[in-house]
Amino acid sequence: MQHAVRTGTAKRSVSGGVGRKPWAEAVKNILLTLYALVTLYPLIWLFISAFKTNDEFFDKPFGLPAEWRFENMKRAWEVSDMGTSLVNSLIVTIAALILTVLLGALAAYVLARFQFRLRAPATGLFVLGMLIPIHSTLVPLFIILKKIGLYDTYWALILPYTAIELPIAIFVTAAFLGTIPREIEEAALIDGTGYWGIFGRIMLPLAAPALATVSILAFLRFWNDFAFALVFISKPALKTVPLSLSVFANGYSTDYKLTMAAMVIAVIPTIVAFLLFQEKIMKGMTAGAVKG
Amino acid sequence: MTEAARKRAFIAIGLLPALLLFVFFVIVPIFWSAYFGFFDWKGIGEMKFIGLANYAEALSDPLFYKAFKNNMIVVAASVFGQVPIALVLALVLTKSTMFQRFIRASVFMPMVLSSVVIGIIWGYIYHPQIGILNFLLDSVGLGSLKQQWLSDPRISMYALMVPLIWNFIGPYMVMFIAALQSISPEIHDAARIDGVSPMRKLFSIEMPMIWDTIKVAVVLCISGSLKAFDLIYVMTGGGPAHSTELLATYMYNNTFNVFRYGYGSAVSTAIVIISLVLVAGSQYLMKRKD
Repeated sequence: MQHAVRTGTAKRSVSGGVGRKPWAEAVKNILLTLYALVTLYPLIWLFISAFKTNDEFFDKPFGLPAEWRFENMKRAWEVSDMGTSLVNSLIVTIAALILTVLLGALAAYVLARFQFRLRAPATGLFVLGMLIPIHSTLVPLFIILKKIGLYDTYWALILPYTAIELPIAIFVTAAFLGTIPREIEEAALIDGTGYWGIFGRIMLPLAAPALATVSILAFLRFWNDFAFALVFISKPALKTVPLSLSVFANGYSTDYKLTMAAMVIAVIPTIVAFLLFQEKIMKGMTAGAVKG
Repeated sequence: MTEAARKRAFIAIGLLPALLLFVFFVIVPIFWSAYFGFFDWKGIGEMKFIGLANYAEALSDPLFYKAFKNNMIVVAASVFGQVPIALVLALVLTKSTMFQRFIRASVFMPMVLSSVVIGIIWGYIYHPQIGILNFLLDSVGLGSLKQQWLSDPRISMYALMVPLIWNFIGPYMVMFIAALQSISPEIHDAARIDGVSPMRKLFSIEMPMIWDTIKVAVVLCISGSLKAFDLIYVMTGGGPAHSTELLATYMYNNTFNVFRYGYGSAVSTAIVIISLVLVAGSQYLMKRKD
């Protein structure tokens, strides 16, 4: 696919060059650069402000700090009990991630490779799940979680996170598995490998690229979730990162530099993940959407 | 065990865990909220069956309409803001040069931030005293345009649209780029040989060929807009004077602040119905006659 894309764009740029003036191209690039800067500015501002004093934050909002105060980070870490919430976020995110990938891959393999009567209804149910605004499940889930005694535990986040992410995980993986030639499977069956063997030793390794996309999308969603954590968790000891950040939100009298520093600590994992896995994230966003 | 039985067993064991988890935590709650909607319940104590009273109350509550109207503003801003901007960006960003990849990554970046972080950053940008927006207006001599961005009920909803749109342009842009790149180069060549103008090419060739992707984007916009909650909760909590109330914040406040679980459940059900109706309606309107 990458190859097709390259040739496609190469031809287009040749054809584009015919009647197009170089200054038009330059204006376009300048506009694009400006757009990118405006888009990125809130983030740049966040990072710069995190190293300022409160006075600098107030007086010179666009300027650089006179001195880069790394101690803001340390203070923010202590004040917001960031260590605890980072550990909680990690536990919840990783547990939900493992469940999503395993259950999602298994279901995707079944849906992509087997013919059975419930296949269409099951697929339809997962599609429906993607269309439902997930916040409408907050109240009933809250009640259910209380009834089954999972409220205010890690499971109160792990299980709903997994459930919400399963449809996209299944569709991305199933689309990918659909491209693997059937002969591989048939050969394995003849060799006496069972379905579990095929799944574990052939499908899982082959689907690694798709599973990587699924994992990174799931990581972003789980790590950043706010609404579910807000409703299903009340113990301070179980707070996730977005939840402990939200205490900074309402309060016009808060310590700005510390808020900014705490937010920097919180966004670094996702920004690093984004920079490392850009291609996979973007591919995941398109998967399923293009074919509709 | 026969071969067929082994296959059936594998299908069942493979599919059931995912299906059960999904049904129990996503599908069942929707029916439960429809059911809870028939009760007057404070979360503890007795549940009193009151029939359709909650649903009727929602339909006659001006605040519900306010929230609904605001939600429609969000839907409109997303569909007519995010989709066109994303499409324009996609049209000029189909190449794989370093420069283009950098711009793409920049546009996409807000997407990876937690909405709590986005809410707090934009809360500061809009802050009447310390906010950089008013500071910027002052320093370019437009001080008269300074506003109480989030605390003036007349403009607060519109002020919130900017971060909402800014946040989610990236994914739509990437979807459109992928769709545009899947148009075969022969078609571009044919158009060039026939001397088709760029505008004509856009509307007669490219738009029709990516129409299905645009339809998907609109569906995502609609269902995404109806779950707009985090950002509003963090930035205004639905205020001031309910001027930024959305269906989700209305539901949240009724349930978890005034403890009307039955009423909150009825509103949840309304959100699902509204979302499905809007999705179906948009797909009907966008159906191409071919």
